[in-house]
Amino acid sequence: MRKILRAVKRRIHRRRLRSDGGTTDQRTKFLNRDSVRSAPFWLPPFLLVFLFVYGAIIWNFVISLTNVSNNLSTIDYSNLDFENYAIAFDGGTPSWARFDVGSYISPIWNAAQNTIVLMVAFAVVCLALGLWLAILVDRDIRFENTFRTIYLLPMSLSFVVTAKFWAFMYNREYGLVNALFEAVGAGSVEIIQNSTLLGVESIALGPIAIGSIGIPVKLAAIVFALIWQYSGYAMVVYLAGLRAIPDSHFEAARVDGASTIRMYWRVIIPQLRTATVSALVVLMVFSLKAFDFIYSLYGSYNPGSAADILATRMVREAYQNSRFAFASAIAIVLFVMALSIVAPYLYTQYRRGDL
Amino acid sequence: MSDENQYISRRNVLRATGVATAGALAGCGGGGNGNGNGGNGNGNGGNGNGMGNASGEVSILHAWGSGDGANALQALKDGFENEDVNVTDSVVQGAARSNLVSSIQTRMSSGNPPSTWQAWPGKNLLRFTADQYGDLEGDVWDSDLKDNYLEGPKQQAQVDGKYVAVPLNIHRINNLFYNTSVVEEAGVDPSSFSTPSDVLDAMETVASETDATPHAHANAAWTAGQLWETVLLAQAGQSGYNDYINGEGSRSAVESALEAVDTMIDYTFDDASSIGFPEASTRMQNGEAAFMHQGDWAAGGFGEDFVYGEDWDHVPFPGSEGHYALNMDSFPFPAEAPNPEATKVFLKYCGGTEAQIAFNREKGSIPPRSDADVSQLNEFQQDQYDNFTNSDAQPPSIQHGLAVVPPVLSNFGDAFSDFISNRDVGSTTDALMNAFN
Amino acid sequence: MSPDRPRQTDSGILGRSWSRIGLYAFLLGMVVFYLIPIETGLATSIKRAGDFTGRNPYLPPLPWDATLASWSEGFFSLLDGLINSLVLVVPATILSGLLGSMAAYGLTTISWRGQVGIYSLFVAGIFIPYQAVLVPLTVFWYNIVPIQDWWLESVANGISVFGLFEIPSTFMLLGWELGFQPYHWQLISLIITHTAYGIPICALLFRAHYKKLPDEMVEAARLDGASIRRIYRRIILPLSVPMFAVVFIYQFTQIWNDLLFALILVQNNEAAVVTQQLVDLGASQEGVDYPLRMAGAFIAALPTLLVYVVFGDKFAKGVAA
Repeated sequence: MRKILRAVKRRIHRRRLRSDGGTTDQRTKFLNRDSVRSAPFWLPPFLLVFLFVYGAIIWNFVISLTNVSNNLSTIDYSNLDFENYAIAFDGGTPSWARFDVGSYISPIWNAAQNTIVLMVAFAVVCLALGLWLAILVDRDIRFENTFRTIYLLPMSLSFVVTAKFWAFMYNREYGLVNALFEAVGAGSVEIIQNSTLLGVESIALGPIAIGSIGIPVKLAAIVFALIWQYSGYAMVVYLAGLRAIPDSHFEAARVDGASTIRMYWRVIIPQLRTATVSALVVLMVFSLKAFDFIYSLYGSYNPGSAADILATRMVREAYQNSRFAFASAIAIVLFVMALSIVAPYLYTQYRRGDL
Repeated sequence: MSDENQYISRRNVLRATGVATAGALAGCGGGGNGNGNGGNGNGNGGNGNGMGNASGEVSILHAWGSGDGANALQALKDGFENEDVNVTDSVVQGAARSNLVSSIQTRMSSGNPPSTWQAWPGKNLLRFTADQYGDLEGDVWDSDLKDNYLEGPKQQAQVDGKYVAVPLNIHRINNLFYNTSVVEEAGVDPSSFSTPSDVLDAMETVASETDATPHAHANAAWTAGQLWETVLLAQAGQSGYNDYINGEGSRSAVESALEAVDTMIDYTFDDASSIGFPEASTRMQNGEAAFMHQGDWAAGGFGEDFVYGEDWDHVPFPGSEGHYALNMDSFPFPAEAPNPEATKVFLKYCGGTEAQIAFNREKGSIPPRSDADVSQLNEFQQDQYDNFTNSDAQPPSIQHGLAVVPPVLSNFGDAFSDFISNRDVGSTTDALMNAFN
Repeated sequence: MSPDRPRQTDSGILGRSWSRIGLYAFLLGMVVFYLIPIETGLATSIKRAGDFTGRNPYLPPLPWDATLASWSEGFFSLLDGLINSLVLVVPATILSGLLGSMAAYGLTTISWRGQVGIYSLFVAGIFIPYQAVLVPLTVFWYNIVPIQDWWLESVANGISVFGLFEIPSTFMLLGWELGFQPYHWQLISLIITHTAYGIPICALLFRAHYKKLPDEMVEAARLDGASIRRIYRRIILPLSVPMFAVVFIYQFTQIWNDLLFALILVQNNEAAVVTQQLVDLGASQEGVDYPLRMAGAFIAALPTLLVYVVFGDKFAKGVAA
C-alpha cells in the first residue's frame, strides 16, 4: 500500500533536471515552458492579429448571413441564412428589402470577371516585364543601383498619387498618351471613360457566334498603370532569384555551346520557379486591392461596369447603398479568392520548412 | 544612419509642424476645409434636456466645400444672430456627395448624428426610417411656415406625414442657358424653340456657323442623368414623366429621350469626360460654347461681369415650359440630435424669410416661401420666381433623388455611369426600364 | 542571402559593343517609361494654371514662366491632411514594428513546439484583402467601441492608466500646443487598425532577420540564467536595429499611402489624412486645376518618395522579403 502511494507520489511530483544543476517541480512545468515564458512577447501581438484578422473575418461571415442593411446598430443575429450568397450568384430581390421598387440586386459575375481579367493580365505582364528587366540589369551594367532605384520608385507612391498622375497622362486633351497617339497620326482617344473592347469583336464557331473576347479600354488603362507601379517589385524579386543561382550554372550552359537565349530559357528560368511563385502570389493579392487606385481615378465608388471589380462593388454596396450584409457576402467571396491563391502557397512553404 | 531613424522623435517633428500650423492658420484660409473643429459632442454649455434652454452648439455636416454652396452657407450663418446657439459646420468632400451620404449613414447608425446636414429632401429622406428623424411639428413647422411654404416643398419635407426637414431653396433643373453673342453669331433664336429637336438643330447650326462648341456639357453620370430627365419631361410631358417615376414608363419615351441626349453629348467638348460642370460653365462664359443645360446653381456661379440679359440668357428647356423641375436643399432633423432645442432654434431661423433670402442670394436658387421678398435677389432669380409661382406643375428631380426611392436612384445612377462610357442607347434603355425591378 | 554580384557578360550575336549599346538603350528607355508620369507631373506643377494647353505636357515651362504658386497653395490645402497622416503614421509604425519584433522573437529565437503553427497564422494575415474586414471594422469602431466618449472624458478628467496613475488633462492641453487637434481622436481607431494589420509583415521581416542570428549567443545567455525578457532587451533588441530601420521604412510607406481604411474609418472630415484629401484636390469653380493637382500629388508623395530615395536599399529589402 505504501509502495503504491510512494509510486503515485513520485509520479505527481516528478522532478526534472535543470541545466544549472537544480531541479524543478512538476507542477510548475507549465509555467516554465518556453512557450509560456515567452508569451508576453508573442501573445499580445498574436491576440491583436487574431482578433483583427481571423475574428474580423469570422464576424464578417456571420454578418453576411444576417439581413442588416441601413442601420448597423441593429444587427439581427437570430435569423441567419445564405440568402445574400444566393443573390450574389444569381441575382434577386432580397427578402429584407425596405422598398418594393428598385430592390433587385444584380449578381456579381461582371465584377468577378473583371477582377479575374485584371488579376491575370496584371500579374502576367508584371512578371514578364520584371523578369526581362531583371535579366538585363543582371548583366554587369554600370549604374546598376541607379537603374534599380528608378525602376522600383513607383512602388513608393500611394495609389492615389499614381491615379492623379495617370489621370493626367490619359487626359483626352492634355495627356501624354494622347499626344503620342496624335504624333503617330492616330488621333486622340478617350481612355478613362471608354468601354470599347480591345480584342476580337465576335468569335464565331462556324455559324454560331460565341461572343467577343477582349478587355475594355478603361480596364486595360487601369492594368497598364498598375503594371507601371508594380513591375519594379517583380524585377527585384527576380533579381534576387537570379543572383541566387550559382555562376557555375551559367558557365556550364555556355560551355555546352548554348546561345544566350537558349541558356536563359532552358537553364535559368526554370530555376526561378520559387521566385515566380512568390511574386505571383503577392501580385495577385495586390490586384485584389486595386480599389484605392480605381476610386481615386474615378473619384467615386462606381467606375462603370466595364471597370467594376469585386472590391469596388463591395465598397459601393456597403457605403453607398447601405446593403451591409450583402456587401459582406461579396467580401467573403473576395476573401475565398485570395485564400485559394495564398493557402496552397503557404502550405508548400510550410512543408518545405521555408516558413 | 539607423540611429537617426530610431531617434526621430515624435515631439520634434510635431513641434515643427505645430509651428507650421500656427503659421498657416494665421495666414490664409486654404482650401475648403470647413470651419469647425470636431463640431459635435456635448462640449461645454447647454445640453438638450427639453427644458426650453436652447443653447449650445449646432453642427452642420455638408458637402459645400467651395463656390456657391460655401458662400450661401456662410451667408446663412452670418445672418443668424443668437448668442446662445453656436453654429459650426464641417465639410465632407468627395465622391460627388457619396462620402457625405455614407458619413451621415454611419453616424446615424452609431447614434451620433450631427445636429443637421445638407440633404435633398423628398424620397432621399427615406434612406432612414421615420423614427430616426425627430419631429419638427409645432416647434419649427408652425403656422407661419405651414401657411407660407409652397405646397411642393411642404410635401417634400415630410416622411410618413411627419415634418422632418426644413427646405431652404428651390433649384430649377429644366434650364437652357446660352451665351448671347455666340448664339447671335450662329443666327439662332432660342426663344423660338419649342421642342428638344429644335435645340438639336440649333446645336448643329452653331457647329457649322461658328467655331464654338455647341453644348457646354461636362460628361458625368449625374449631368447626363439630369439632362435625360429634362428631355424626358420635355418630350413626354408631365404625364410621361410621372409614368416613369412611378415605374410605368414607356420604353419608346425613354429611348427617344436617350437618343436626344446621345446626340447632345456628341455636340460637346472632346474632353468632356475629364472636366466638371464649373469648367464647362467657364468655357461658355468665355464664348467657347453656346448652350448649357444645368441646374440654376450654375447661374449662381457665373462671374460678376457675365450679365443676365446682356451676355447670357435663359429659356426653360424647350418643351418643358410651364413646368418647374425642381431640386431642393434642406436640413433634416435627426431624432438623436445632440442639442435638439438649439437645433430647432436654428432650423426655425432657416425656415424664415431673412435666412432664405440670404442663402438664396448666393446660391442662385429661389426661396420656397411665397412671402419672401424676392426684390433682394437678382433679376434672373426674380424671373425664375415668377415662373415658379405661375408654373403648372413642379416635377421633382429623379437624378437628385427626390422622385424615386434610394435603390431605384442607385440603379438609375449605374445606368448612366455605363452610358457615358459605352454610349449604348439600347442597353441603357434596358437598364432604365429595369431600374424599378 | 547571396552577395550582389553581377553576371559576366558574354558576347552576343551582334558583337559585344552593339549588344551593350542596345542593352543600355533599352534600360534608358525603361527609365523614361518609369519616370515620365512623375516628370510630367512635376513639369505641370510649376506651370501657371491655364498654361498647360499645348501638346507637350512633359516639357517644363521656361524659367521665367515657372511658378511655385501651385505648390504653396497645395501645401496649405493639404496641411491638415499632412499633419493627420503624420499623427497616424508615427504611432502605428512604431507600434507595429515593436510588436512585430516581439512576436518574431517569441516565435523564432526562443524555440518551442508549435511555434511555426502560430507563426503561419501570422503570415496568412499578410495576404488578407482589406475588403473582407471592412464591415466588421465599421461596426466595431462606430457601434461598439465608444472612442469618442473615452476621449471626451480624458480631455475633461485626464486619463487613468491601468488605475495606477493619472495623466491630468493639462497634459492633454500640452498636446494642443504641439499641434494636436481635438478631432485627432478619430485617428485612434485608424492607428490601432493599422498596427494590427501591420504586425504580420513586421513579424515576417524580423523573423527572417532573427533566424540569421547565431544560436549560440542566445543559448549562452540562457545558460547564464538570463530571463527571456532580459535576452530580448540586452541582446536581440540592439541587434535588431538595422531591421527596425527596414521595417519602419516599409511600414511608413504602407500606412502613409493607404486610402481604404482611412476612407472608411475616418469618413472624410477634418481628420482626413492626406490621401483622402488628395482625391478631390484641384476640382474647383474654374475647372480642374492640373498644376494644383500635380503639386498636391507631389506634396502628398514627398515623404515616402524622400524616404525611398534616401533609404532605397532598405525599402527594397523590405519589399523582397
